[in-house]
Amino acid sequence: MRILVIEDEQKVSALVKRGLTAERYAVDITADGVEGLEYFEAFPYDLVILDLMLPRLPGSEVLQRIRRKNDHVPILILTAKDSVDDKVKLFELGADDYLTKPFAFAELLVRVKALLRRGPVNRSSTLRIGDLELDRLTQQVKRDGKRVELTAKEYSLLEYLMQNPERVLSRNMIIEHVWDQSFDGITNIVDVYVRHLRTKVDEGHAFKMIRTVRGTGYMIRRGMES
Amino acid sequence: MNRNSLRARVTAFYVSMLAVALAVFSFAVYAGVRAYLTNSMKLTLVHTAESIVTDYLVPLNAKGNSWFQNEMSESYPAGISDPFVRVSQDGKVLYESGDIREPLVRVSKLPLPADPEQTKAFRRPNAETGQPLMVYTLAYTPSQGSPILVETGDNMEPLNHLLHSLFLILVIVMPTILVGAAFGGHLLMAGPLRPVVALTEQAERVGRKELGERLPIIRSGDELERLSLALNRMIDRLEEALAHNQRFSADASHELRTPLTIIRGELEALLEIPGLEAQAVEGISSALDESDRMARIVHNLMTISRLDGGGERIEMKPLELTGILKTTLDHMSLLADEKGIEVRCETTAPVWVTGDAMRLKQVIVNLVDNAIKYTAKGGLILVRLQARNEQAVIAVADNGIGISAESLPHVFERFYRTDKARSRESGGTGLGLAIVKAICTAHSGTLSVESAENKGSTFQVQLPLLRLSPREMIELETKAATPPAAEAVEQSPASAANS
Repeated sequence: MRILVIEDEQKVSALVKRGLTAERYAVDITADGVEGLEYFEAFPYDLVILDLMLPRLPGSEVLQRIRRKNDHVPILILTAKDSVDDKVKLFELGADDYLTKPFAFAELLVRVKALLRRGPVNRSSTLRIGDLELDRLTQQVKRDGKRVELTAKEYSLLEYLMQNPERVLSRNMIIEHVWDQSFDGITNIVDVYVRHLRTKVDEGHAFKMIRTVRGTGYMIRRGMES
Repeated sequence: MNRNSLRARVTAFYVSMLAVALAVFSFAVYAGVRAYLTNSMKLTLVHTAESIVTDYLVPLNAKGNSWFQNEMSESYPAGISDPFVRVSQDGKVLYESGDIREPLVRVSKLPLPADPEQTKAFRRPNAETGQPLMVYTLAYTPSQGSPILVETGDNMEPLNHLLHSLFLILVIVMPTILVGAAFGGHLLMAGPLRPVVALTEQAERVGRKELGERLPIIRSGDELERLSLALNRMIDRLEEALAHNQRFSADASHELRTPLTIIRGELEALLEIPGLEAQAVEGISSALDESDRMARIVHNLMTISRLDGGGERIEMKPLELTGILKTTLDHMSLLADEKGIEVRCETTAPVWVTGDAMRLKQVIVNLVDNAIKYTAKGGLILVRLQARNEQAVIAVADNGIGISAESLPHVFERFYRTDKARSRESGGTGLGLAIVKAICTAHSGTLSVESAENKGSTFQVQLPLLRLSPREMIELETKAATPPAAEAVEQSPASAANS
C-alpha cells in the first residue's frame, strides 16, 4: 500500500511517515501543493493525506485537481480548522475524511486503515474477540458464555472498541462515535463509562481485555492467543 | 413622553425664557397704564381746581355771590359735573356740584378736609356709596376773610375697572401664549430631531445584528451630519478591531495546533520505545495529557471566537427541546450516578425553538456537567424545561457548593475559575460556561445565574420560542416522529466507514 503525504510542516510529515512505515505502508512526502500533484500523477497511490495550508497551491485546490483526475483514491485531510462549515465544504470538494490537528497517531492510523479497507465492511451480526462475544441482533454480550448486562451507552462503547481490536482509540474518537461532538466539553465522560464497562466485562476474569493507554485513550485486547 | 428628551428640554427652556419675558412685559404695561391714567386724572383735577380759583374766586369779591353761584352752576351743573367740585369756606359750603348720578356716587356726604392748611394735596376717601374717590384740595386765600377751599374729585371706579380688565387680559393671555408656544415649538422641534430618531433606530439595529450596516448620513450640513459621519467612522474602527481580533484568534489557534501536533507525535513515538522506565512513561503520559488539554483549550477558544464573531454559521432549524434534553441527560447519566447525585428532569409539553441541535445539546451538557462537578455526593440536580412568556426556559439547579457573591458576575468570563484548585484537578478548560454563553447569544437567547454559597446554583437559559400556527406545528411533530436524515452530516464520516 502506497500513501502520499502532502504536508509542509516537516516535523509533522516525518512523524506521519515514521508511524505509517512502522505499520508497513510505503510513504512518500512532499512539502507543497504543486509538487504533491506531480507525485500523484507520477505514481499510483492508494491513499492521499493532504494538509490544507500548503505553499504554492492551497490544499483545497490540490484536493479538487486530484478529484478531477481520479475519483476513487481515498483522500484524508489534515486541517487546523474545525468548524462544521469547513468540514462540510471539504466533503463537498471530494474529501473522504478529515482529521483536526492536533491528532493522536492512533487516530490517524484508524482512519487510514478504515479508508484503505473500504468497500465490503464487516457487518457481521456477531463480533467476537477472545472469549468476548457481542451479538448485534439481540444486542447481547457474553463473556466466557456468561451474559453481561450493559446499558445502551456501555453497549455502544463496547461495540466501538470491539470493531477496532488491538487499536488505541482516543477519547476524542470515542466521544465522536459513541456520543457526539456536543459532549466534547467533558472528557471524563469516557473514563467514567469505560470504568463501568470494565467492571462488567473484566471483573472475575484473569485477563483484562480493556486497557488504558495513558495520554491517548483505550483499547481492547484479544488476549493470550493473539 | 420622556421628560429628559432633548426635545422636551429645549421646549421647556425656551418656554420658561418666554414666560419671564412676558411677565416683565406685562408688569411694565400694567404699571405704565396705571401711572398714565392716574396722572391724567390728577392733572384734570388740578387744572379744574385752578381754573375755579382764577375764573370764579378771584373776581368773587367784585362780582358778588349770586354771580358766583350762577357761573358755577352753569360750568359745573349739579349732578352731572365730572369731575365734581365743592367750594367751601370756614366749614361752610359755598357751592357743590353734588352727587353724581348714573351710577350714583354720593359725594355730598364727603367730610370736608379736616386740616384746611393741607392744601394742594390729594386724598383718596371712599364715597358713601362705596366707590373709591380721588379728591384734590386747593386753598385760595382772598384779600380779606378766611381761606376758601376748592375741592375737585372724581370716581376712580372706571379707572380701577379698566386696570382690572387689563390685568385679567394679561393673566389669561400670557399662559395661553406660553401653552401655544410650547405646543408649537414641540411640533417644530420634531423636524430637526427626526434624523436623530432615525440615527438612533439604525444604531440599535447595527448593534443587534452585525456591524455590516452603517448609519444614514444626514445631508444637512450641520452638527447632525458631522455626528452621523463620526459615528460611522467609529463603527468602521470597531469593525476593523473586531475583524482583527477574530483573525488573530483564528490565526493563533491555527499556529498553536501545528506545534501541538508535533509535541503529541513526538511524545507518542517516545512511548513506543521498548523497555522504558516507569518514571519516563509516567512523565511522557502526563505531558500527553496536558497537550491534550491544551488542544481542547485551543479548540474551545476558536469555537468561542467564531460564535462571538458570527463566523460560525449556526444552523437555525426548528427543534423540539424536550426530546433533546431527555436523551442528553440519559447519555451522561452515569456521571451523576457515580457521585450518587440524582438528576431530576421536569418537562411538560413539547417546547419548540429554532437552533442548532448540536450546540443546544452542548449547552445542556456543559451546564449539567458543571452542576455535577460542583455538587457533593448524594446531591440533587433539577433540570426544568418550560415555555414562558414567548421564551423557552431551561433551568439547571443544583444544591451544591454555590458561587460566592464576588465570583458571580465573572463566572461567564473566559478562564474564570471560582475555585482554582478544584476545577484544575478535574481537567477542565475554564471555557465551558463561556461557550454556553456564546451559544446562547448566537441563538438570540440569554444565560443567567443565581447562586447562594453552600446552598447551590441555578443556571437559566432563555431562548426565543418558535412561533408557529397549529397546522405547521402538527407538520413538524409528524416530521420529528420519523428519524431526521439531515443529522448524518454532523456525524463523523469515520463512523460510517468503520461500522
